[in-house]
Amino acid sequence: MSGTLTQTDLRKKEIAIARKYADRLPWEAVAWGLGNLLVWLSLWPLVFLGVVPLWLGFIIATLNVMLCYLPSHEAQHDIIGRKGTKWRWLNELVGHVSTIPLVLPYRVAKLTHIQHHLHANKPDLDPDYSSMASGPWPAIWKSIQNRQPGASGGFNKYGDVLQDIGRPDVLLDGALFQLIHFGILIALAWSGYVLEAALLWWLPRQIGLTYIQFFLSWAPHHPADETGRYKDTRAFKSMWGNIGSMGMQYHIVHHLHPYIPLTDTPRAYREMRDILELRGCRLEEI
Amino acid sequence: MQFVLKNILHFMPLIFGIGFLGPLLAQIIQVLGWQASLGLAPLTLGLIVGGTWGAFAQFKGRWI
Repeated sequence: MSGTLTQTDLRKKEIAIARKYADRLPWEAVAWGLGNLLVWLSLWPLVFLGVVPLWLGFIIATLNVMLCYLPSHEAQHDIIGRKGTKWRWLNELVGHVSTIPLVLPYRVAKLTHIQHHLHANKPDLDPDYSSMASGPWPAIWKSIQNRQPGASGGFNKYGDVLQDIGRPDVLLDGALFQLIHFGILIALAWSGYVLEAALLWWLPRQIGLTYIQFFLSWAPHHPADETGRYKDTRAFKSMWGNIGSMGMQYHIVHHLHPYIPLTDTPRAYREMRDILELRGCRLEEI
Repeated sequence: MQFVLKNILHFMPLIFGIGFLGPLLAQIIQVLGWQASLGLAPLTLGLIVGGTWGAFAQFKGRWI
């Protein structure tokens, strides 16, 4: 690509590529979100009735929690159905129900995620900045630390952000989700199903949160020391591949054009790679 | 309603320690076939450990 292109030319070319991937209803995200939830819900009776052994249920439930965030993420960006369109109800349905295993209310996720896009890598304003760490193991440890009751990061930071943006009403969603989650765990524990509760929900959620915060928050922004449209995230090669890293290798495309469905970001990236290189983006080994 | 929710969630580490970790530890003790000292029942031991751990988390703000 010619080095004489102006900033405006680059912008026009980049948008032209991105627009090709807009306005497609990602049915795969709908099937993924709703199917994943149904599998997780069905595990409970199947394990209780002895049809599925608990160890297998634990493995499936852990995968379910790891997989449950991204379909809601598509909904958070209105990719499944924008306001006023005929699939809006489906967008909201996927957004609300897919993160139930994660105990993350849709409105909390959506409002804080928009703040993340607006203020990526700004320590005080980015709700996900607390997941930043010097390397992979410190990132895992940080995720665990952020989940402690007195932590200032993680979901506790989400509460502060909701207050700051004038939406303290949404804190009620988070409180109700937490209360119902713990209520169900405790009720199951005193009904003789404590191992089932621990291995189908509590422990899978802890593992899933660590995985999600590692791959969706830490890895694509690491080292999180720059801000700005073309600098606050990166493209990177993960040893787990694009599927193992949940499509985050091409996270830069998502931050630049959040309306592109997740499964289209690799193709969009390959098309706009030269433009991103000219922009000085961090494109690491990919 | 908000006051009630806030207070329940504030004391959740302690509630979780007694309400969930206690029975969980008791079940693990039983599954592993361990014998508690002083003739304590698994649930009693589970509640003591779970309650103490929950109290630690409540006052220190961290489980680990």
